[in-house]
Amino acid sequence: MYSQTLRNLASVLLIISLGLGLAACGKKITRVDQNAVTDISGKWNDTDSRLVSEEMIQDVLSRPWLNRFTSKHKKPPTVIVGKVRNLSHEHINTRTFVADIERALINSGTVDFVASSTERKEIREERKDMDLNATEATRKAAGAEIGADYMLKGTINTIVDAASGEQARFYQIDLTLIDLANNRKTWVGQKKIKKTIEKGGLRW
Amino acid sequence: MKSGLNTLMYKFCLLLLVSLFMSGCATYGQKAGSTRDNLLAGQVGIALAAVEAEDKDQEEVLASMNKGVLRRMVGDYSGSNQVLEVAKQQIEDLYGISITDQLGAVTVNDTLRAYTGDRYEQVLLHAYMAMNYIQMDDLDAARVEILQADVKMQEWGEAPEEDPFVRYFSGMIYEALGESDQAVVAYRRASEIYKATVDKQSLAVPQVLKADLLRGLANEGLWDEYKRLKKDFGMKNFKPTKLGNGFGEVIVILHNGLAPVRSSNTIATASGADVVDLVKIALPVYLNSPRQLYKARLVANGKSVNLETVENIDSLARSALDSDMPAITARAIARAIIKHTTQKEAQEQGGSLAGFLMTITNIVTEQADTRSWSTLPQEIQLARLVLPKGTQNVQIEMFNGAGVLVDTISQSVNVQSGERSFISEHWTSPNMVMTVTAGK
Repeated sequence: MYSQTLRNLASVLLIISLGLGLAACGKKITRVDQNAVTDISGKWNDTDSRLVSEEMIQDVLSRPWLNRFTSKHKKPPTVIVGKVRNLSHEHINTRTFVADIERALINSGTVDFVASSTERKEIREERKDMDLNATEATRKAAGAEIGADYMLKGTINTIVDAASGEQARFYQIDLTLIDLANNRKTWVGQKKIKKTIEKGGLRW
Repeated sequence: MKSGLNTLMYKFCLLLLVSLFMSGCATYGQKAGSTRDNLLAGQVGIALAAVEAEDKDQEEVLASMNKGVLRRMVGDYSGSNQVLEVAKQQIEDLYGISITDQLGAVTVNDTLRAYTGDRYEQVLLHAYMAMNYIQMDDLDAARVEILQADVKMQEWGEAPEEDPFVRYFSGMIYEALGESDQAVVAYRRASEIYKATVDKQSLAVPQVLKADLLRGLANEGLWDEYKRLKKDFGMKNFKPTKLGNGFGEVIVILHNGLAPVRSSNTIATASGADVVDLVKIALPVYLNSPRQLYKARLVANGKSVNLETVENIDSLARSALDSDMPAITARAIARAIIKHTTQKEAQEQGGSLAGFLMTITNIVTEQADTRSWSTLPQEIQLARLVLPKGTQNVQIEMFNGAGVLVDTISQSVNVQSGERSFISEHWTSPNMVMTVTAGK
């Protein structure tokens, strides 16, 4: 009698799990708005990256360093992107929000950017190639690069508190603009994000 | 008399059928055994090719973990991390107790439970990914991996759930990144865990760690603790060295030998004279005692130092099985009772043939769960050596039980002043062949 009920239970569960399995088999793709919050695993995602870039752009453009520089030098400051070090416990792609910030600053017309060290290598090679192959009129000479006034550097740090299935994740992103002439920090931007994640103790 | 003969016939047929069925599906332990044989013979390429041929969609955690180690062995570090990352994600997804898995385990067998690795395997997964990143010259990414291992160990709670080697190794990564304060914390924690887990690994605090901890404490100016530990460790003559001034350090991590493979221990019992009273119970077991390891010595620039064991995976694997055994046995007994009942019922409702068929099914499906990450080394060994800057020729010499030099691993390292460089090698046989030769 007991085993009968057990077997009935087993077959019911089997059917349910089959149903679940089949539902997962069909691939389903839905397009969503790029600003929609899609928290799936609790890890760093596009929403976090966007929040960081929005905050940083707004902050960096509203601070006095910009006006001070332009009124003194009568030209917009030139910035180069340095390394944003990932000191967190996740593999985070820092290029997305750095590119966001770069784009916003260039388009605002108040800041100029120069190519980063890796980008420069390729461009210099192209210039060398021009020396041999381009016409005199269109050839670009070496030694005409603009030196940057500031370097943008940063770090991502996390603090994770975890205990049996529950996690609190705290991200802190610090960006600094350092004056290349005298190492002075002219702007420090900071964004903090906190999440809690609960993992279910049961699954099918 | 006649029915007795019949029963005998049945039992004979049953045995025949069972052996026929069993030969068709090799258990994990059997497959792992053949990988192990290849690796012990030095045929890394052949072992990798066989492992790569299975689970091409990367759906099984254990297959991915094995691929990860074998890809590392042939120097494919990014390929190794790709597949280990897949395994890591799947372990994450499989968090929690599965209802269907549990049901399968008490009605069919334990191998129906999804494999997520024992705790020591889960943290070593991060350690191996970190080593791959180091070998790809990305220390920051290695740091990410050890932080993930840290979160995992935090979730589990205090020692003895923590892995001393992983803590020690994270200290080395911090030190290589110039974060000496963090390194001291990790070294201190590692030495505490070595003491707390001595029954699991039977390892004392390694001498090399003692020296690292003392050096770290001296560099941070924590002199009270330095003096106390120096006395505790009995290292009166220890003098802390500082890198720089044309000297760098080489850290050699050797993955020596192979972790043990589980076999199946089968007990067939008959609770009565009838065929349907035949019940088989299969339990996992480590049949062989640990192999004797080859000794390793590091030789460079006229200096030599013996490698020290910092993680005894063989012993971790055995104690993991020991601590799981009560639960495994309980499930096996529950299964035997359920199976016996189904056999009886099948006979009562459908006659002796039905009972016979049910018995065969139950016997064939009874399998021990022999899964474990068996491409891991038997032991992880370590040596650190301060060397003058420049290109250094570093050799790891392997000696057999009789003290005869059987193999030498040569590596050239670019030592930079004040910097640390890592060498991480797997060694399973005196005749290592990394490629699959044509025609095989």
